[in-house]
Amino acid sequence: MTENTRELKPPKGVSFWQDGLHRLFRRPIAIVCLIVILLYFFLAAFIYLAEFFHWQIGPAIWSQATGPSYQQPCMQNILGTDIFGQSVLRKMLYGAKISITVAFSASLISIAIGLPLGAVAGYFRGIVDEIVVWIYSTLSSVPYILLILAFAVVLHDKTIAGIKLAGITSVYLAIGLTSWVDLCRLIRGEVIKHKEREYIIAAKSYGCSNSRIIFKHLLPNVFHIVIIIFSLQFVSFIHAEIILSFLGLGEANRPSWGAMINDARIELARGVWWQMVAATVAVFFISLALNIFGDALRDSLDPKLRVQ
Amino acid sequence: MRKRCVILFMTILPVFVFAGCKGKSSAHDSNEMVLHQMLNSKIKCLDPVLIQDEYSMNVCNHMFETLYQYHYLKRPYQLVPLLADGMPEFSGDGLTCTVRIKKGIRFQDDKCFPNGKGREFKSSDFAYGVRRTADVKSLSPNWAVIENKIAGLDEFREYTKTCKTAADVNYSRSIEGLLTPDDYTIIIKLKRPWPQLVDNLMVDVRNAPMAKEAVDYYGKDIIAHPVGTGPFILKNWERASYIELVRNPNFRGEPYPTEGDPGDKEAGLLDDAGKTMPFADKVVWTIIEEDQPSWLLFMQGKIDARAIPKDSWNEAMTATNDLTPKMKQLEIRLYAFKDPSTFYLGFNMLDPVLSKNKPLRQAINHAIDRETFIKLFFNNTYDIAYGVIPPVLASYNPDIKNRGYSDYDPNKSKELLVEAEKIQGGKIPPLKIAMQGTDTFYRQYGSFVQRQLEVIGLNVEVEYMDWPTFQEKENKRQHQIFAGGGGAGIPDAQDSLSEYYSKYWSPGVNHFNYKNPEFDRLYEQTEVMMDSPERTKLYQKMELIVLEDCPAAFLDHRVRYVLVHDWNKNYKPDIFGYGLSKYYKVDLKKRAEYPELLNKVKD
Repeated sequence: MTENTRELKPPKGVSFWQDGLHRLFRRPIAIVCLIVILLYFFLAAFIYLAEFFHWQIGPAIWSQATGPSYQQPCMQNILGTDIFGQSVLRKMLYGAKISITVAFSASLISIAIGLPLGAVAGYFRGIVDEIVVWIYSTLSSVPYILLILAFAVVLHDKTIAGIKLAGITSVYLAIGLTSWVDLCRLIRGEVIKHKEREYIIAAKSYGCSNSRIIFKHLLPNVFHIVIIIFSLQFVSFIHAEIILSFLGLGEANRPSWGAMINDARIELARGVWWQMVAATVAVFFISLALNIFGDALRDSLDPKLRVQ
Repeated sequence: MRKRCVILFMTILPVFVFAGCKGKSSAHDSNEMVLHQMLNSKIKCLDPVLIQDEYSMNVCNHMFETLYQYHYLKRPYQLVPLLADGMPEFSGDGLTCTVRIKKGIRFQDDKCFPNGKGREFKSSDFAYGVRRTADVKSLSPNWAVIENKIAGLDEFREYTKTCKTAADVNYSRSIEGLLTPDDYTIIIKLKRPWPQLVDNLMVDVRNAPMAKEAVDYYGKDIIAHPVGTGPFILKNWERASYIELVRNPNFRGEPYPTEGDPGDKEAGLLDDAGKTMPFADKVVWTIIEEDQPSWLLFMQGKIDARAIPKDSWNEAMTATNDLTPKMKQLEIRLYAFKDPSTFYLGFNMLDPVLSKNKPLRQAINHAIDRETFIKLFFNNTYDIAYGVIPPVLASYNPDIKNRGYSDYDPNKSKELLVEAEKIQGGKIPPLKIAMQGTDTFYRQYGSFVQRQLEVIGLNVEVEYMDWPTFQEKENKRQHQIFAGGGGAGIPDAQDSLSEYYSKYWSPGVNHFNYKNPEFDRLYEQTEVMMDSPERTKLYQKMELIVLEDCPAAFLDHRVRYVLVHDWNKNYKPDIFGYGLSKYYKVDLKKRAEYPELLNKVKD
């Protein structure tokens, strides 16, 4: 009897997140990509620390000349030097900080706007929904890059509430304020679907307030969408930062990949190729890693797309 | 799907057909002499009264003529008549100037005239052009040049302010100092002597004679409908891509100069002496804002002449500043010539940190390594600016470089900074430097200055902005330190020195908002003096006053390196002349053979 009872014991439950992560970690390429992404993040974090504690090492001292102007790649300067004799390698590494900072900050702004708006619109429907849909439809009717450019131009070097939007602040604000539409739309759709489910009806019947239902019950159940969108948009935010820097609207006083590509575009005529190569290689690896990892994450977390 | 493709094809087909037609119509036959030139900026307008940039001045000067021009070949620059019949006659006190104009000069044919036939040019057309500059409704940016000079003109401007609309302005209202007693005589009465009268009023295309009929007929569209007496007329103007001018059939024909400087004859510059100009049938400017595409077009022989871009320097020049063997094989000629320009880092003398702290300004001045700057940014070709007056002008002081105002001396800078901090009463707060562009050049320029000032311990923030924002801030006196500079428009140092006269504070030309009573006194004294050794001495004295007060760190004077294809004949550098295409000639055979030569050199 005892043995039979043991056999009939139900299998241990696996949560949605455990299942998703389990599926994700079964993909070796996704793991490699995650390691690459983490390397970029650690690099950015390291530069922040080095600047904060004034460590005189590596990319933190990118502004120091390490050789003559436009020195070709050599043992002393693996990726050569720029017009001022600064190490291109150090600039390339420092560029990771700018790109990661912009993409991360823009993602947070985008989530901070898109998530509550989408949830509120989907939950309350009616006039609230119509207003939100009208706003995001208007925004999405303008081509993405043009919209970011317009915001960047307007915000560039402006002072809002006593804070000057210099350098990358205006860049991530411009990107964040214009790119919440996709997340908002998806969250709204998902909330509309979930609000008819039994657990929400049960919560309502228990007399839970709307805010409790939204933040305690609905959002945790649709949060996987935020993670998927975060990973997929991150790479497009990096690209947007590069485009803005390339057009002279980004970070001007510190190295960024876009600015490096812009400089290199002209320098190619004099045979200086190393700055272009360095910046594009740096962009290539983070873009590839984020794209592959984002796809893998979506496949693992999205119930409809779950594949082995 | 197939049906959709067919519809799409039928929709797109006419676009290609018409595009092809346009290409054919704009193509020229092989015997047509076409000058292929380039502009690296769009033209804003073709109405002289509104011109603010050199590109528009250049294009306009091909269609509009002025009373005088500078001799194309003789140096130093000499005034010669263009629409005028002889040189101007001045009264003994220098206050009255009489100019007679040539008879029989006709405006180009245009529908603004009765029956579309261009009428004869009259003295009243000149007076009309000046009145337009004075008319406040014209919004001319060039009024400051003639302000408070001609008797009654300022009163006319005040009168135009009282008119409700532009149409209400009565242009026949008499002006005491601007008289046209007959169709061929102009009399100008001045309030006080004005030695630059001819250069500023009668050579500058911005005050060119205009046909009133054209302005009345086209109204606001006059900016795109130039109607002049010049050798060329406008055929096409695609604002973002090209401008095409063709010969003016009404042009009287102007003889090519018969005299020049020593060496001009040997250089073939007098081969066409006395021949009737213009030689070319058509002038085409292609607008290419990026250096690299225009350089490639030049190398392909599709542009006749081009200055060497910074980053293509090594392709064109050797380390000894000579043409590379490839350029020589391609029979490309090099012209290197100095430009009457001065570039600087300007200090706003109204800024609370900079204005009262001369040691700080001097510290910044001596912290800039001009040699390295010129080496990095201008391939070691520009001249160091030791003062205000460019070396190409006659009043340049050759001794100025020994005064040490532009010496690079970081130790001296550090000493001065200690003094500056005493005056400031503590550490110097972060300084802001404004750059008039956001492109690679300005970012690297800003970065260079930032690095140089950090060496002496100054904390600097560089602000990059577009040109209109820069100008707006400049006009509102909001910059602290700014990268600026420009060229003199006339061969007279008064033009360069006017930037330091206190009555021209921003939005005038004195963007430093600099004031020195002694300088002002000398400026007013020289303003009415004719060219003389005394005036030159005073100019040099004024320059020293400015250098001593240090309202700017003077950096460089531009030196131009221009490459010209061998088929382009009669080319001579002319730094004050515009509308020079009438002198140019093309050896069509040589141009046709160039692709073959290019292939041979490539092999």
